Amino acid sequence: LPAGLSQWFPALEVLDVSGTGLTEMGTELLSLPCLHTLLAKNNRLGGPGSLPKGLEQAPLARSLRVLNLSGNRFSEVPPALLQLRGLRSLSLGGNRLHGIPPDIQELHSLEFLYLGGNFITAIPPELAKLPSLRYLVLCDNKIQSIPPQLAQLHSLRSLSLHNNLLTYLPREILNLVHLDELSLRGNPLVVRFVRDLTYNPPSLQELAGRTIKTRNVPYAPSDLPESLVRYLSLASNCPNPKCGGVYFDSCVRQIKFVDFCGKYRLPLMHYLCSPECSSPFSSASQSSTSQSESDSEDEASIAAHRMQKVLLG
Amino acid sequence: FRYTRNLVDNGNGKFNLMILCWGEGHGSSIHDHTDSHCFMKILQGNLKETLFEWPEKKGNGEMTKKSERVLRENQCAYINDSIGLHRVENISHTEPAVSLHLYSPPFNTCNTFDQRTGHKHKVTMTFYSQFGERTVC
Repeated sequence: LPAGLSQWFPALEVLDVSGTGLTEMGTELLSLPCLHTLLAKNNRLGGPGSLPKGLEQAPLARSLRVLNLSGNRFSEVPPALLQLRGLRSLSLGGNRLHGIPPDIQELHSLEFLYLGGNFITAIPPELAKLPSLRYLVLCDNKIQSIPPQLAQLHSLRSLSLHNNLLTYLPREILNLVHLDELSLRGNPLVVRFVRDLTYNPPSLQELAGRTIKTRNVPYAPSDLPESLVRYLSLASNCPNPKCGGVYFDSCVRQIKFVDFCGKYRLPLMHYLCSPECSSPFSSASQSSTSQSESDSEDEASIAAHRMQKVLLG
Repeated sequence: FRYTRNLVDNGNGKFNLMILCWGEGHGSSIHDHTDSHCFMKILQGNLKETLFEWPEKKGNGEMTKKSERVLRENQCAYINDSIGLHRVENISHTEPAVSLHLYSPPFNTCNTFDQRTGHKHKVTMTFYSQFGERTVC
């Protein structure tokens, strides 16, 4: 970037340096107090010096709203980027990212996040801590599973997951109340019925823990070694409303198909405390108990109500 | 947050002329053309067109891809139901795309197809804007 930039254009709000072959952006950026949009796509950024040092203290950290770094050579999200606390829109599409840093949660104003066309294999659960995220694009990556915590993205309107390596989805995805659009094509989603996945019988410790929890056997920290007290605090409730049981490490993973709008079958992963438990309701629905066979239909009708533009095929 | 269809001219009821705006990564479902002619010209960027065979009557398997190509700026394409079905997508993660579409006779419903099973589903198509005015739905 030219050295006199902030002197010549102190009121600069939008800077577009796309397609200029830039390999680094230096301190010239730091003294632009009004800059809210920076477009630097299709360059050669990605190495050290791509973003200037000292970003944390610069006015840019609070003023920048839109940053487009698509079509560059980033193999990781530069830590300096996470200092841009006012950022609303970030694109790193078409780079060489292999993952998403958990500290992405620092960008708490983020509404639009485009990460399509990278080599991302997994999504950190911390991504779900972005309270304003409305539009999330993860298409054309190598993602194998979605963390169930992603269901906490209450503002999410659009989720793009096409062309990845997903075989199933967490059932919690049905909790995304405001989701209007979901693209899932080009994933090896399980189509046929899948037998219950291997269930390792529970250990004696697990059985004892379950009994203590379900029978409300009283205990105090002075009664047990600290490790067991901690273990008991990690009990997960079996989502089956008719069960009321708990599990620790040993649970049944079961893929249950939810018929979507009567047209598509979404394979959703359910976790249950034992093979005898039937699959649960979507926890977002407040309805009373129903038979296990019609569970998936009820889940589907609730979900169909919410998701209007599912793009599966 | 998906591609928009913007009606430009309705040719006294004989055709629909519209401009489609595709953001990065936006694509359509696999669809037919309700017995109409469909012409497409790329005005900006690139669009990938993937042609599919019609699924078997009792479709229950993965749909068959016939061919695919990337259409560049100013290139034109044509399709109708006897040629087959297609999916159109902007595969760029950095550039938006814009295309001009002519449908004759005009239609506002079509079928979309699930690539994994061949199942079809009738949909009503909507416009994001008409003659420059945002369509509120």
